[in-house]
Amino acid sequence: MQLHPRRFARLAALLTAAVLVAGGPAAETAQAFERKGDKFILVFGGRQPVPQLDPSQKYDWSTRMMQQALYDALVKYEGDPPEIKPWLAERWEVSPDAKVWTFHLVKTAKFHNGDPVDAEAVRFSFERTLKINKGPAWMLSSVLKPEGIKVVDPHTIRFELTDPFAPFLSFVPWWYVMNPKQVLANQDGDDLGQKWLTDNAAGSGPFRIKRWEQGVLYELEAVPDYWKGWRQEKPLAGVIYKLIREAASQKAALQRGEADIVEGLSPEDFDIVAKMPGIKVENHPGMTTFGIKFNVQQPPMDDINLRKAVAHAFDYEAFLKIYNGNAKLQTSPFPFATKGHIDVPGFTRQDLDKARAYLAKSRYPDGGIELEYVYVQGLEEERKMGLVLIDNLKPLNISVKMVPLTWPNMTARGAKLESSPDLMAIFATPVATDPDAVAFQYHKESWGKYYGTSYYDNEKVWSLIEKGRRVADWSERAPIYAEIQKMITADQPEIFGMLANRRWAMRDYVKGFQFSPVRFTGEVDLYTLEIGE
Amino acid sequence: MALFVLKRALLLGLMLIGLILIMFTISHVAPGDPAAVAAGPDATREMVEVIREEYGLDEPLPVQFWIYLTNVLQGDLGRSIRTTRDVTHDLLRYFPATFELVMVAMLLAVLIGVPLGMLAAVFRDRGLDHAIRLVSVSSVALPMFWLGLLLQFFISLKLGWLPLGGQLGLLTERPPPITHLILVDALLRGQFDVFREALAHIILPAIALSAPALAAIIRVNRAEMIEVLHQDFIVTARAHGISQFRIVAVYALRNAMIPTLAMIGLRFGWMLGGTVLVEGVFDWPGIGLYAVQSAVNSDFQPVMGATLLIGFSFMLANFMIDIAYGWLDPRLREAQ
Repeated sequence: MQLHPRRFARLAALLTAAVLVAGGPAAETAQAFERKGDKFILVFGGRQPVPQLDPSQKYDWSTRMMQQALYDALVKYEGDPPEIKPWLAERWEVSPDAKVWTFHLVKTAKFHNGDPVDAEAVRFSFERTLKINKGPAWMLSSVLKPEGIKVVDPHTIRFELTDPFAPFLSFVPWWYVMNPKQVLANQDGDDLGQKWLTDNAAGSGPFRIKRWEQGVLYELEAVPDYWKGWRQEKPLAGVIYKLIREAASQKAALQRGEADIVEGLSPEDFDIVAKMPGIKVENHPGMTTFGIKFNVQQPPMDDINLRKAVAHAFDYEAFLKIYNGNAKLQTSPFPFATKGHIDVPGFTRQDLDKARAYLAKSRYPDGGIELEYVYVQGLEEERKMGLVLIDNLKPLNISVKMVPLTWPNMTARGAKLESSPDLMAIFATPVATDPDAVAFQYHKESWGKYYGTSYYDNEKVWSLIEKGRRVADWSERAPIYAEIQKMITADQPEIFGMLANRRWAMRDYVKGFQFSPVRFTGEVDLYTLEIGE
Repeated sequence: MALFVLKRALLLGLMLIGLILIMFTISHVAPGDPAAVAAGPDATREMVEVIREEYGLDEPLPVQFWIYLTNVLQGDLGRSIRTTRDVTHDLLRYFPATFELVMVAMLLAVLIGVPLGMLAAVFRDRGLDHAIRLVSVSSVALPMFWLGLLLQFFISLKLGWLPLGGQLGLLTERPPPITHLILVDALLRGQFDVFREALAHIILPAIALSAPALAAIIRVNRAEMIEVLHQDFIVTARAHGISQFRIVAVYALRNAMIPTLAMIGLRFGWMLGGTVLVEGVFDWPGIGLYAVQSAVNSDFQPVMGATLLIGFSFMLANFMIDIAYGWLDPRLREAQ
């Protein structure tokens, strides 16, 4: 036989050699960080793309992280607990009835093209967001109309609201200021620059866009003469946000030094990498609550005793186990970082005797019912919580049917009272630290939204919520929100769960990380970061 | 022959319209409110209505279908309701990445699969045949994403030979587009460093993607070779003293390749539609990932656009195979 396996072996060796030649240079262990001259470029590995950058249209975590880097707002959230700090506005006043808010701008701020950031730019930006009526518009559109935005002088802007609105300031950090000249110069018809701002920026923030490769990476370069200055001794030359969609790939990228920070590891992997040399994990309680919402207006969960029975049967410690201890049980319907949070006395915990007693008082004293538990398909933590529910409700002779749905299908189920399931797993993140941002989730205006799928029905609570947002003086507001927390707890519209910690794994040379719980999952303030030697 | 091609082309057009109709129906009967998802979790009812009106979702379904069909015929695949981006523009960005990956994966599968199938046939039921069977069974048994993760772990992380993912290094700029295929554009622009970097990045995802096709090519080629090697003309060739290498690699392989080629055509289509798992693992910015991300967010226009493009590619591949068959075998043409 002339055709011998050795001939094939030679061919295979040749092919392998070709592969190695191609891979040769890449075989070197990647640099821990990229360099530009003597400055460093930080690489952030994130799961979520940024397909839409326009501050008037979108604000999920990855989008907002980029917006925060490219734009400035009048004020900014910083620190833990979060505080509202002056930014484009150096100071502000509010009228005693919380209807008129006046902001005084700094005189040094300028957009990336050199244009000054003045009151007209602020007016234009707020009006644009209201007119487009997308993204963050809902935060203020009920009280702020375009005609209520007044330029007092080039450095003073006044907002005259249609109604008193005490939480106003807490939403302002997410209303970024855009350069009207750039936006209008790039209009497509009368779209107010919506198409252009999808992939471009017209801001005054600490970074500007260098490369925007959709679906691959987004590169920002630092603005050396940023008007606010740089706090670091050696500021970054830039940041690359690289899309790394799989948790395993994020972990590998961090280990290999192809990413300096990653955000999407599994709870187990965060614990594993925390023990690796050269890697540290930032681990902080966030503001995202996890609860299992009951549909309180439909049988069988319209029975408060059944709701209490289910809530008392649930093993709350399971939440902590699912997150390997990196979570904190709720002690109120409000997250801990929400202003005015109180530890509600007698907050529900597992107590089987109480559960049985409540069940005995319900319309289902012997159980014998099946509850539908709807959760997000593919979200392992929510699936595990469903399994815990099944196990915990067995002693009450209540069975649980687990129904995984995609997020759109799940929200469609919850959008109508009749189709909203008995139990729905919901992670909810308030966008502001003002208690109204959470309390309003229990108002009838929130029915049908993902956090309003319990169709909570208590007119006294609703009127307190309405009262709370109309009072400017915090000493008067605080007792209102304390009462709201107690009343919601007593009505048990959900199993009040926990707040999972927000975690980022990073190389230990990454310095300047500043956590603030009001930021969304994964979101980091890129402005404060630096790479130490 | 011209009539045969014309008939096939007409059939292709009808199939495309059928595909659009099926896609549109499935997309619009699926539960979920795309306008509500696009407006965001906190949006007011008015904000949802603004989006519904902007995207024509308030029109009756037949009207929506007619608008979509006429737009598609003009090359406009609509806008993503979630990202507001132009779908045609997005597909032009993502499809070349998938196409390039599939081409390299198919090249690997053919270059490795055909010789292995040939060797397995020649050494039938001997050690080498068993070893090759192990390769083909493993290739088809290992899920692509799992193989991808294994390759990442051993080749990239442990050995450090090849990059973990992406199409290029972080600081490397794509070559100015000519074909939108990075490997080709880098060569055409004379950017050989970029070419080498792109090649290093594509090897692992291409291996992971090629595995099922590799297995199929090995098995089909082996079976065909065994059959051909027992035919009279091979015995005659041997009797004439022609070298064994020439008999196998030239005479037998040429005959055994006909069914293998047909299978490669079909596999090409399957690969185009099945890249999503590999794209996810290797962060390959391709059309599969784009379509799946859109589907889970009830974002219909990109899903329909991607399906249409993949479906069209699949049909085109089969159309060309049909033409090739008709050209190779006159009986097929006459039967039409």
